[in-house]
Amino acid sequence: MRQTLTFWLRRAWVNLRGEVLVLPSRTLVLAWTASLLLLPLVYPDPYVLRVLALTCLFAIFAASWDLLGGYAGQINFGHSLFFGVGAYGSSVLCLRLGLSPWLTVFIGAGLAALSGVASAFICLRLRGSYLSLATLAFPLILTGLLFAFPDFSGGELGISGIASLAASRTANYYICACAMLVVVFGLAALADSKFGLVLHAIRDDEIAVRASGLNTTRYKLAAFAISGAAAGLAGALFAHLLRVAGPSTLELALSFQVVIWGVFGGLATIYGPVAAVFILYPLTEWLGSFRQFGELRLLIFALVVLVVLLAMPRGLAPWVRDKIEMVCARCKQRNIAWRTSCRLCGAPAGPRVDGVAPAAAAQSPR
Amino acid sequence: MIADIFVTGLVNSGVYALLALGFALVFGVARIVNVAHTALYMLAAYLFYWLLVKLELNAFLAGILAVAGIVALALVCYRLVIEPVRAHDSAVLIATIALALIFQELMLLSFGGSFLGIPSAVQGVMHVFGVTVPYQRLVILFVAALALAATWYVLHHTRIGLAVRATANGMEIAELMGINVRRTAMTVAGLSAGLAAVAGVAVAPVTVVSPLMWLAPLVTILAIVVLGGLGSIRGAILGAFIIGYVEAITVFALPQGSYLKGAVALTIMVAVLLIRPEGLLGVAFEDER
Amino acid sequence: MLRILIFILAAVLAPTAFGQVTIKIGVVGPMAFTIGKHHRAGAEMARDEINAAGGIHVGGRRMQIELVVADTNELQSIPDATNAVERVITRDRVDFLVGGFRSDSVLAMQEVAMDGKKIFIGAGASTDKLGQNVEEKYERYKYWFRITPSKNSDLGRQLAESFTMVAGQIRKDLKKEIPKVAILAEKAAWTEGLIAAAQGRLLPALKMAVVGVWQPSDRATDVTAELAAIERANADIVFTLLSGPVGITVGRQMGERNMKAVAFGINVEAQKDEFWKAAAGKANFVATLDTYGEGGEMTPRTLPFVKAFRTRFKETPTYNAGTYDAVYLLKEAIEKAGTIDAERLVPTIEKLSFIGTSAVIEFDKRHDPVWGLGKLTGVAVQWQDGQKVVFWPPQVKGARPFKLP
Repeated sequence: MRQTLTFWLRRAWVNLRGEVLVLPSRTLVLAWTASLLLLPLVYPDPYVLRVLALTCLFAIFAASWDLLGGYAGQINFGHSLFFGVGAYGSSVLCLRLGLSPWLTVFIGAGLAALSGVASAFICLRLRGSYLSLATLAFPLILTGLLFAFPDFSGGELGISGIASLAASRTANYYICACAMLVVVFGLAALADSKFGLVLHAIRDDEIAVRASGLNTTRYKLAAFAISGAAAGLAGALFAHLLRVAGPSTLELALSFQVVIWGVFGGLATIYGPVAAVFILYPLTEWLGSFRQFGELRLLIFALVVLVVLLAMPRGLAPWVRDKIEMVCARCKQRNIAWRTSCRLCGAPAGPRVDGVAPAAAAQSPR
Repeated sequence: MIADIFVTGLVNSGVYALLALGFALVFGVARIVNVAHTALYMLAAYLFYWLLVKLELNAFLAGILAVAGIVALALVCYRLVIEPVRAHDSAVLIATIALALIFQELMLLSFGGSFLGIPSAVQGVMHVFGVTVPYQRLVILFVAALALAATWYVLHHTRIGLAVRATANGMEIAELMGINVRRTAMTVAGLSAGLAAVAGVAVAPVTVVSPLMWLAPLVTILAIVVLGGLGSIRGAILGAFIIGYVEAITVFALPQGSYLKGAVALTIMVAVLLIRPEGLLGVAFEDER
Repeated sequence: MLRILIFILAAVLAPTAFGQVTIKIGVVGPMAFTIGKHHRAGAEMARDEINAAGGIHVGGRRMQIELVVADTNELQSIPDATNAVERVITRDRVDFLVGGFRSDSVLAMQEVAMDGKKIFIGAGASTDKLGQNVEEKYERYKYWFRITPSKNSDLGRQLAESFTMVAGQIRKDLKKEIPKVAILAEKAAWTEGLIAAAQGRLLPALKMAVVGVWQPSDRATDVTAELAAIERANADIVFTLLSGPVGITVGRQMGERNMKAVAFGINVEAQKDEFWKAAAGKANFVATLDTYGEGGEMTPRTLPFVKAFRTRFKETPTYNAGTYDAVYLLKEAIEKAGTIDAERLVPTIEKLSFIGTSAVIEFDKRHDPVWGLGKLTGVAVQWQDGQKVVFWPPQVKGARPFKLP
């Protein structure tokens, strides 16, 4: 027994040293995960925990958008639809039917996935900007419907008095943080898998993919459904954290916000938008806490986005990653930028190949 | 009621046509979805308010100056913010969103969040076909028609208009033919901003001016342009009339449902897209490789 | 040497021996807008007056008031609002909270305040649900009180009373037995009950005929369609239930069309000073329920308050400046109970009869202000040539008669 334990521990250590610590980006992710999980033990300030819990939920939201927008190329301007469906779905079921919130968050996510499939159906034949603008309409149409049935949806007031998932701030924080870690790692794994590869191919040239014999419709529906489910989960957790769910979960500003996070972080990176949320959301919150210029928070946010975008048009994550890592010319694996030879195949590093990962290939100028 | 719908629809459509045309021009030529388009409309309304009410210039002069100011601002923004990232579509998109937010916040900080009203240039109402129509609305209609006619003239009877149309048709070929695409794009940006500014100055007196007034028209304009077909100028005008009349019919025919007019317009857009994915007069884009 | 050390030690420890020196009150509202500015203005005025008079007596000590102002940004983001409330409670360690405006946001803010067991006096949100929570789950929500405005269901009673007077006057002036009423209400949850009550009970009881119900969006910038239809139906009164900028549009367009009908009801935008200019001077005769009006004296404290507010801030107070009353209410309760402990203050506040600047405030079991003549009734005001005059209740000193176009 003890031998198996030491075996697994040693194996974990070897993996850690060989796979994770060799690349700065992975080390960073590890450090970030660890600090998120250990934070409440060191600094359990309820305000900070609340802000970070919201950040985690928005990070799920942004990551789900990236799957759809970055990988599948379906830039979704109405992503708040899934958020709102998850929020409303979970709160209505929890409040009206008295089900446990632990169950309803998943049902809410499921409903959001269904709305994703419905959106996908409508958008199947649409391309590019048509698709983006059609998706813009969906949450707004749903808002109109909710206003038309105020007895069911609470009208512009929404639903309030929703039960929370856990009693203490710390417990809620851990729920949000763990949910985020699971979803983000899951989406990243999905994006790196064959599924993600096909999505990427669809984005670049759908006709070619169809010519290769793959059923692109099914892949697109799946992408919408998975993205919707993740965003719906974020929405449901949000409703239970704030204990209210209203039409603000479907608002246009939220859809725009997630597009900003997605592109600012870097399309098709999953970790990029997550990083963008973790940088931008606490920043705006911190700015808002100043009495003197708290009102400037949105202005400063927009300026920061604009300025950074001018410097890094492909987004934050690709730019940072390219600065600290490079791709080996021979075996195409990533290395730390300042190595003299590849860690895997030993090829000399030579003139720096600008670390362009195949997945984040250049945006085709149209 | 028919007369009401006819007149109201006409005025609404005129305004929408002004805004949609500018938006369609930018998209057709530069393939940019300019989210800040209606924000320029808002800025024009505020600038007009400031010139008219604070500096007490006369309405005509204030209007001209407001339009000129907004066009200048748009050109500067295009040069500083959009051009550097032209190659990255998504970056351009975010840049326009960020610009719109910046404009909104600047207006919020300068003028406060309260709603402002601009006195009409022409007071009084007239009765036509039994419908009470304030003169200001006729002014709007007149200005809209004038602007549309002027744009048509520029597009079809001047060299720069030819360049614009050629670039809209095919950017690479136009460049090969010797057209300075960069300058054409700037021209279009200015023209589009000018149209939005004219709309802002004309419509401001009959609407409520607030820093958030750009969001609702943006959604309607997007619906119109998509409905009419992205990149098609005629489609934009057609879409403007369709949506303008749909909204008029909704509010007159369903008094208890007039809050739905936005949702109805969007539903129509989605319905049309289901049947014809390129919009009514749009061109199906070849995936440019 | 030892004496010096003891002296230094005592000086360092002295403040902690006395414990807290100031009473911290958190003012939460959308500070970029008039609403939040008035939240802050009212609270600041109260703080300055009380501190200048020596502060609040707590037990044997006198404590000064310190305000912590936080921008909730609730008009644009509900999570921002809850974050702001959490921040003032845990970081700034306020003892009390006043303010709030947007009903759905205040519902979320209420949750955070109740988690922190802080007394939260609302000065802006009118949804019944806030008080309902107190009634249904007393132990959790008992720290919530609402000082202004009257809750939505009370608005119905206010409307009924004031409408009776307006109806009587219309009947007399127009010599019509059965005046015609057009209901123009924004599409929102808060108007649903009021529309049903008006159509079903109020208007038939007043012997008035309803010619139709129109429901624009609260942000509509054009109500031509609605007004054209109302004109065609020959309505004498337009019964308005509007809280958004559509109120400005209605006032202005009615004036531009020279409509014979008079607008009366609830029009929140018409309660603001800026309304006259926002409607480009066209909104004459627009009448609405309100909290303050020109020259109206609801309690002996009304006029001094309005005057002092105008002198200091150069604007007329809106009901959001009720934070002034909230701070004074807290002062009275603290001095009566001799403590700032929330648990012991709650029962004290529940039993208070407090003379505010707009009404006499007593709380019911939902911690909402009790509605009734002599207590809180609100007023009805009408814009007459650029001035917002009080015309109801007629008992209010300074009330002037209601005019028709």
